[in-house]
Amino acid sequence: MVSMTHVPHLLRLRAVGLSLAVLLVATACGSDDPPPDGASSDGSLDGVTITVYSGRDEELIQPVFDLFEAETGATVEARYAGSADQALLIDTEGDNSPADVFISQSPGAMGFLDQQGRLSLLSADTLDRVDESFRSESGSWVGITGRVRVLVYNTDAVDESELPRSILELTDPAYAGRVAVAPANGSFQDFVTAMRAELGDEATADWLDGMAANDAPNYPKNSAIVDAVARGEIDMGLVNHYYLVESLEEDPDLPAANHVFADGDLGSLLITTAAGVIDSSDSPDAAEALVAFLLSDAAQELSANGEKEYPLVDSVPAPDGLEPLADLAAIVVDLDVLAGGLTGTQELIDQSGIQQ
Amino acid sequence: MASSSNPLVDPLPSATTPRRPRPGERPALLLTLTVAVIGLVFTGPFAYVVVQNFRLGADFSDIFGSSDTWSPLGRSVQLGVAVAASASVIGTTLAWLVARSDLPARRLVAVLAPLPLVFPSFVGATALITGFATGGLLERVVEPVGVDELPQLAGFRAAWFVLTLFTYPYVYLPVVARLRRLPASVEESARLLGRRPLGVFTSVVLPQARSAISAGALLVFLYTISDFGAVELLRYDTLTRVIFSNRLADRGTAMALSLLLGVLALLVVAIERRMVRHDVPVAASSRPTGLRVPLRRWRWPAAVGVVGFVGIAIVGPLASLAHWTIRGMASSRSRGSLGLDGDGLGSAVTNTVLVSIVAAIVTVAVVLPIAYATVHYRSRTGAIANTFVVGGFALPGLVTALALVFWVLSSTAFVRVYQTLPLLVLAYVIHFGAQGTRASQVAVGGVPRRLTDAARMLGAGPVRRFLSVDLPIMVPGLLAAAGLVLLSTMKELPATLLLAPIGFDTLATEIWASMETLSYAQAGLESMVLLGVSAMLTWLLVIRAADRLD
Repeated sequence: MVSMTHVPHLLRLRAVGLSLAVLLVATACGSDDPPPDGASSDGSLDGVTITVYSGRDEELIQPVFDLFEAETGATVEARYAGSADQALLIDTEGDNSPADVFISQSPGAMGFLDQQGRLSLLSADTLDRVDESFRSESGSWVGITGRVRVLVYNTDAVDESELPRSILELTDPAYAGRVAVAPANGSFQDFVTAMRAELGDEATADWLDGMAANDAPNYPKNSAIVDAVARGEIDMGLVNHYYLVESLEEDPDLPAANHVFADGDLGSLLITTAAGVIDSSDSPDAAEALVAFLLSDAAQELSANGEKEYPLVDSVPAPDGLEPLADLAAIVVDLDVLAGGLTGTQELIDQSGIQQ
Repeated sequence: MASSSNPLVDPLPSATTPRRPRPGERPALLLTLTVAVIGLVFTGPFAYVVVQNFRLGADFSDIFGSSDTWSPLGRSVQLGVAVAASASVIGTTLAWLVARSDLPARRLVAVLAPLPLVFPSFVGATALITGFATGGLLERVVEPVGVDELPQLAGFRAAWFVLTLFTYPYVYLPVVARLRRLPASVEESARLLGRRPLGVFTSVVLPQARSAISAGALLVFLYTISDFGAVELLRYDTLTRVIFSNRLADRGTAMALSLLLGVLALLVVAIERRMVRHDVPVAASSRPTGLRVPLRRWRWPAAVGVVGFVGIAIVGPLASLAHWTIRGMASSRSRGSLGLDGDGLGSAVTNTVLVSIVAAIVTVAVVLPIAYATVHYRSRTGAIANTFVVGGFALPGLVTALALVFWVLSSTAFVRVYQTLPLLVLAYVIHFGAQGTRASQVAVGGVPRRLTDAARMLGAGPVRRFLSVDLPIMVPGLLAAAGLVLLSTMKELPATLLLAPIGFDTLATEIWASMETLSYAQAGLESMVLLGVSAMLTWLLVIRAADRLD
């Protein structure tokens, strides 16, 4: 019989896991370590309402909020919409913004709010839950989970020997018309920003021109590329890793697979989701407690398994079926660069002609 | 001296002459004031865009001197004109067949024909792509017959095709409402004089339906230039695509281009108004017209054509949606919260139905004074208000929503209504006011002035005149207006996501969430529920209500 993992059931399991984790941490460590599950597991947030504007999808992150509510007694009210639109909304709302916490699908939308001066600084305890490379240098926001850029390909149409080692090879005429891109999509833009940081604007422009010369077909977003590859409309495409993982859940027979570029190649960039506290929040402490909770072992595990994304906290393993992050050797680019680089990147993309 | 309103010395003493603005006739002060206030509210989004342009200080000479601005604008206009033209032809033909011919299964067609309007464009386009694209459903169907490559669904033609499929109801609904109340006498005379049905159609029906067709075509044009979901998925680079891809990275450019879009819309609205103002006035009757033209040997070909077209528009996306659902149910997906009995879906249905009915009623009530001011009087205030109400439809929903956020939160008096249902309804009213206005104007324009004047002479006050004379005649037109707003509200996404109270899910937001997580099975199911609920509401509130009142 097929077992259906209903959310309440999952929650119970996680709650047990969390209690265990708390117990272990409590007995194992001294008082130097920050508590992994936020500032309060003692119901000290009773009666506090935290308003979250989330660019993360409800299905993925609501279980984490439920767990936080159970742990702290706080009430989490979450508004779900696209990350860019939510960032614009918070900016437009100004000081009257009801939002306490913003959770973004990408560093770009978070960086926009940071540039507008709309984020409060997080405490060192919260920031230190993740490696320096997974948070903003100023300490105004922190990465939560990671997604890796990959080349999704149709297993019927592409022989494994044809797969490139580096993303730079994709400008080769052998790939002409075969590799789909989503130039208007945030993740693709983040990747281009990373390339600018690593190789410089000139080399980036050359690569974009090469892709344009290769007539790389345009799609509006990652999911459309994965759909098109799976249908056989296009051979390959540059996307984030989890789209195919999720599509395969819906239809396991899809003739498609993810190809991860060789170690240290720009193509296997790690992009994080991000969380920050809004400067106009009227309960900043509770807001930060929620951000810290997103980095607790329990929440990270829940995210990793539910979202098929990489946890950023060291102690939590990668989700089932995914290679450990360390083995992927995904490259990480200074997130402040990703967050700040939108404007120049958009210009480069516009000028290259990759956008059809 | 006030111009005469005495019907006995009326220069056009014909029983069927509708009320037409008389030079010098002025609307009551109260009406002018009401219209001015309503119009002011509708200028909100435009004022916001102007304010933002000043604040962000975009480099106009750079933006407007660049082909990066003008070529997407050109493509927007080209697409808008093409879709408006094809939607007009299809919408008018369908309306005539339903209202005037002996087409088989007319009543079924009457329920189905408006429905494509309810597909959110991101769902409809995705579903059609799944259906028609390479490796899609259709290919699997036609492959055995030897067709092995279908054209890719992308670019201008694809956008034209898909948007026509989803927007022709903007023409169909007002035209069918118009035809239902056109007096049959002229058509019958023409027929008795030996005109063939086609001749009657072009020489008699078409001129009388012109204002309704023009109203619909205008809405289609404005919708097309504001659409983002379909053109994005179909990879056609219009102005809205540039606005959206720059909305964070370069807000100055995004806002400057929004302004350009807004100005274009206001211009087109003003031009359309000029064209219609000199139109032949037509009187509607308060009784439905029972006239049916026998199609004879064209009866079945017409039926096949209608079934084919409405079939592609409804069954096309529906087949993809059903396919997603069945495929998802068949695979043993562990996430599995798939089902119709979920609390979430139930409350989404209730929320969607309630909020869209309220929005439809409020919208028609709000725009009716403008319709009166513009149709019955040459009110300058009315004309200006009308331009902003109708032109606002071309601004993307996101811009309208942000404008409301901006204005509501910039005054402490209104902070309390922020992200409440009344504000959400206001957002719908502002965004869809155009649909209510143009269709209501057609309705108001059909009220014969002689009837109103006669009622006035008999001593009926304005309220009684409105209720007992105007309203019964206007009902089909007003229902069409409300129907348009209803269906549009049911699928509205950007404003709903940003302005609804937290936790207030609608079917559109549920579908969006499912598509975002690639849960196509769930999205398919929810879209089918949306379609079913819309069909039911269209039948109950628009079609059956109109019949009952007859």
